[in-house]
Amino acid sequence: MRREIYEAMMKAGKISRRNMLKGAAATGAVAAFSGVSTGVSVRPAWAAAHESLRAAILKIPGVGMGSPTDADWQKVGEMCMGPVKEVVAEGEFKGVELTFMGLNNQNLHNFLFRGFLKPWERYTGAKINWIDLAQADYNARLQQSIATGTVDFDILEMGAPFEGDVLGRGMASEMPGWVADIIDMDDYVDYLKAPVGTWNGKTHRVSIDGDCHTFAYRTDYFGPGSVTGRDVPKTWQEVNEITKALKGKTDPLTGLEAYGYLDPLKGWGGFGFYFIENRATAYVKKPGDPVWLFDPDTMKPLVNTPGWVQAIQDVMDLIAADVYPPDQINADPGTTAFQQFLAGTGSMLMWWGDVGSNARTSDTSVVGDVVGFGINPGSERYYDRATGQWVNEYNEAPNMAYIGWGIYVMATVDGDPKKKKAAWSAAAHLGGKDISLWASAYPSGFQPYRNSHFNYDEWEAAGYDRAFIEDYLGSNRDSYNHPNAAIEPRIPGIFQYYSVAEDELAKGFAGQYASAQETADAIAAAWEKITDQIGREQQLKLYRASLGL
Amino acid sequence: MSAGRHDMGDRLHVVFEDRIAPWRRRLGAVLVWGGAAVMVAVFALLALGRFGLIALDVPNWRPALYAYLAWAVAFCTAQVLTRGERGKRALFILPAVLFVVAMVVFPLIFAVAIALSDWNLSSLSGPRFNGLDNFRQMLSDPFYWNAMRNMLWYTGMISVEYVIAFGLALILAGQIRARKFFRVAFLLPLMLSPVAVSWMVGKSMLEVRFGPVARLARELGWERPSFFGDPLIARLTIEAMDAWTYIPFMMIMLLAGLQAIPRELTEAAEVDGASAWRRFWEVTFPLMLPVSITAILIRIIFKLKLADIIINVTSGGPGGATDSVTSFIFREYRDRSNVGYGTLLALVYLVVIVVAITVFMKLVDRWMNPRY
Repeated sequence: MRREIYEAMMKAGKISRRNMLKGAAATGAVAAFSGVSTGVSVRPAWAAAHESLRAAILKIPGVGMGSPTDADWQKVGEMCMGPVKEVVAEGEFKGVELTFMGLNNQNLHNFLFRGFLKPWERYTGAKINWIDLAQADYNARLQQSIATGTVDFDILEMGAPFEGDVLGRGMASEMPGWVADIIDMDDYVDYLKAPVGTWNGKTHRVSIDGDCHTFAYRTDYFGPGSVTGRDVPKTWQEVNEITKALKGKTDPLTGLEAYGYLDPLKGWGGFGFYFIENRATAYVKKPGDPVWLFDPDTMKPLVNTPGWVQAIQDVMDLIAADVYPPDQINADPGTTAFQQFLAGTGSMLMWWGDVGSNARTSDTSVVGDVVGFGINPGSERYYDRATGQWVNEYNEAPNMAYIGWGIYVMATVDGDPKKKKAAWSAAAHLGGKDISLWASAYPSGFQPYRNSHFNYDEWEAAGYDRAFIEDYLGSNRDSYNHPNAAIEPRIPGIFQYYSVAEDELAKGFAGQYASAQETADAIAAAWEKITDQIGREQQLKLYRASLGL
Repeated sequence: MSAGRHDMGDRLHVVFEDRIAPWRRRLGAVLVWGGAAVMVAVFALLALGRFGLIALDVPNWRPALYAYLAWAVAFCTAQVLTRGERGKRALFILPAVLFVVAMVVFPLIFAVAIALSDWNLSSLSGPRFNGLDNFRQMLSDPFYWNAMRNMLWYTGMISVEYVIAFGLALILAGQIRARKFFRVAFLLPLMLSPVAVSWMVGKSMLEVRFGPVARLARELGWERPSFFGDPLIARLTIEAMDAWTYIPFMMIMLLAGLQAIPRELTEAAEVDGASAWRRFWEVTFPLMLPVSITAILIRIIFKLKLADIIINVTSGGPGGATDSVTSFIFREYRDRSNVGYGTLLALVYLVVIVVAITVFMKLVDRWMNPRY
């Protein structure tokens, strides 16, 4: 779970005193159960007592008992060692040293991994050295390591969009079969299954996170007697209609001007492009066809085809209608979510799955209990690139923006079987089914990503408010498992394409291009340049591999 | 050793007089030029191998460093061989000089090499020499020239900043109440990081709904205040934030200059019946010109590096209206990993800055010291 969600839930009193006491009692029980408090290492009979193990780890430190500490991470790591112990003998990796590169976000990512892997180090005898990177430095460091061939790490925490850069160059080790057995990949939500994490049919990734954009809306704007008097929109056409119709109306909560959908019109280091994708996927991603950004035969951009142009035109229409808040041209996604939607400006927003929960409970939010969630809006029609015709059928395609973090083992360990087994067992430990449940429920930097994470009974038993959890998780689950989910191509330099598109879109939105088509053509031309620079043949090959073609 | 050394008057400075044998001179020259030839050859081989023009596996540039070190040793030895005692004295400083040269010259050589190559970090083939292609791309890059035009505009605004800074300096140089307090207060913005200014002012105070500036604007009748929506207003707002940060810098330099002017001069002018304006225009201002030029020059250099506020507040928008060359290079290099092109842009910008500053100084010099 994202830390801010957890903290917001704590502050918002979602956890009652009764639950806190329950949590405290349970923690005591867990300590007695595991023997951790006495310093005695235990081997829970995890297969038989699996359910009780899951319930037990969710009580560490206990919901409402404050933020977890290193001792808690170690406890959880210790209790979830069962699967590793089944395949690794005690002291088997004595003398092995591994280097792990990941993020150093305070009390998230590497901080957790250190705690989780301490008991693993104690048991296996291996030692892990850490390369901690600030989020802002991560991409540059990874790119430089890749480009200059200075891979000084054995295990890597990486987002799936970079798989093209790493897996495409054959830099990652193939996952051994025993790892796949341990981590139960069938439990992954649909979109995280192959081809994500795979390259040329080989699996390289242990997923530890999921990402997608979901639709957040103000419930007080919709329904009979509301400011719009309409139902929650299901299509982008409705979203635009409602946004235009709200002009001149008053926000029921703040008494200020009412606004509709909040498009971020400014770039965000490439991440802003995900938001025009949200609109475009409904127009261009048709069921049964994974293609929506590039032509899989020529690598020609599809961004200037009619579906994409319509998405850009939709935004331009709202700009022309003057229905955005002032200065929207300078609003990036951070602004639309945290300075606008949370603060009561605007009634509809697309964001990652976690912002909706923040909007519901954060101190800085004024939208309080008037927030609802749904999946990415669809469209009344979509553009079929195969026939070159618009098809007048409803279509929806939730955008799995960024796909999520995973653990990868570098091919540098392949020459040393002992080291390879050690690295993969560490990765398997971090991506284990039970440990990941704990990471979903407590501040970790990671979202739920397994079907088993959506068992609301477990969350309720752990002390969470059921209605809140169902609301928060439901939109994520529905998006993850959508049969027409739009998954970005994992090709080298994907963020370069996004970044240059942001620059061109900014010009288009500022009226420097004559039309949406001209804006889209400029993006396509810039993308062609990048493709040629990186190498068209190579890109095409990797693109097709990333699509599983 | 020469017997004549005892005849030298200054024993402290010349210990003995060397007679350098011709063979020593020849050997020295061989060492210097031979070493240089070896070094150049190693460089050339490595470069050719690196760019794939010959079949040579070049894992890194370390051999070039060794060649340079070998040449440096040869060069130092040659100094003693060819110049004797004077050469030994040179050895005291040569290692430092060679180190500094290495720190300046090598990065420059590599930067030029990178600027002449097609190098996208995501490209599997690595850097490829592409001659002047990057330069040609720059000539037709609308984003770069838009940023250049913006830089001209931002630099032109230094004249306004100068007038304000001069005014503030005059006030602080005068006998006003709480002068020390105001001197410190006026300096405060300079102590703030531009990133802090971006967030405190650009993102908070200028926030259009809750920001105090927007509220004031509404009170004053601007119904829907917008500070970054219109290209000109956005550019002015960025300029205002940058100016607010750096005007104190100019002000403090000008204040120091004002305090260095002998009071007798203005008093004499006053006795002669000059008005306050004429005392300023014909006495103070001309005397302040050297300080003013220095302050403006340094300010121009600061201004040409303007990037942080833009990156944080507008990302160059709306539609590139506030983009600076540095913020554009930042996006090209960091967000798009376009190392070759980004390096070329940075080098060209460096050359433009050096040329512009040199021309500016020459013009100022001619203006202040006319040669009739």
